Amino acid sequence: MLFSRRTVVITTLFVTLLPGCGTTMVVTPEVKPTFNNDFRMKGQIVYDGNRDYFPRTIAEDSLDKSGLVFRYKYEVAYGKDNLPQAIPLFNPLTLVGFPVGEDTVVIVGHMEILRENGVVKTYTATCAFDKKRSMYWEGDTLTELRKKGLIAVRDNIETQMNQDQVFLSKLITDK
Amino acid sequence: MRQIFIKLAGISLIAMLMPGCATLGPSYQKVDKIPDGMGLVYIYRQNSFIGGGVYYDVKTGTTVITTLHSGGYYPYFAKPGELELWAKTEARTSVTLDVKAGETYYVKGTVGVGFVVGHPHLTIVSKDVGEAEIVECKLEPPAEGTEKK
Repeated sequence: MLFSRRTVVITTLFVTLLPGCGTTMVVTPEVKPTFNNDFRMKGQIVYDGNRDYFPRTIAEDSLDKSGLVFRYKYEVAYGKDNLPQAIPLFNPLTLVGFPVGEDTVVIVGHMEILRENGVVKTYTATCAFDKKRSMYWEGDTLTELRKKGLIAVRDNIETQMNQDQVFLSKLITDK
Repeated sequence: MRQIFIKLAGISLIAMLMPGCATLGPSYQKVDKIPDGMGLVYIYRQNSFIGGGVYYDVKTGTTVITTLHSGGYYPYFAKPGELELWAKTEARTSVTLDVKAGETYYVKGTVGVGFVVGHPHLTIVSKDVGEAEIVECKLEPPAEGTEKK
């Protein structure tokens, strides 16, 4: 026999368990990503975060002609890894890639369009990550997951706004 | 090959179990006042036998904020905005916070299983969890070149 039975078993376990470590990403609502460079809305922006995560369908209107206010905020929440570290330490399957920990991150983006202090439209997007780590694979850091999630949420809200062009265009013209 | 594998596993196990040597300061005391225009980030690590022999520098950019030992904590005053905290042994961990002036945040450090050295892991926990867990920690000395609190 070319390889011993033990070698075959360990290799099979390694190949089977290691892909079990990975990251799943879910974004809701499910919309087909699009980006229409021509569509823009202008108004007052209420947002104090990184501009990279702000929907690009909105531009600042310094003259405040539109009378619209765009209020955007996001929240990032981290799940708890409940696996006690003593378990992977004494679990022999750890050596062949069995998961040793799990990270979950949820990002929620919320856009409100206001006129005369009343909310005329809202858009919300959620992105959730679930990542399992092994001794050999850590995957993306929480910083990288946060960034990916904020961009995914931004893109999702942009797509929702693009799909609502008819309604949003009326908002601009009806003052 | 098998012998080397067993020896490496043994070294990892011993490194994870051995308590680290660190001179920690006084027991946890809540910060009285956050400086105007700054946010407060508590970086802490609960005392644990598992991984106790592993310690790591917690950095922002290229600046070392503190060296985090088992059972230690450090209060860091940060400017408002995005703050990335990271650490590295055999693997790299990183977490980013949106710091707001006057607010308090809790970043928890742990150590997970590694091939030769335990892997650091930083995560943001809620205020309730952080306040409950940090009370048993002791103050880490500031990193060299950092102003004392």
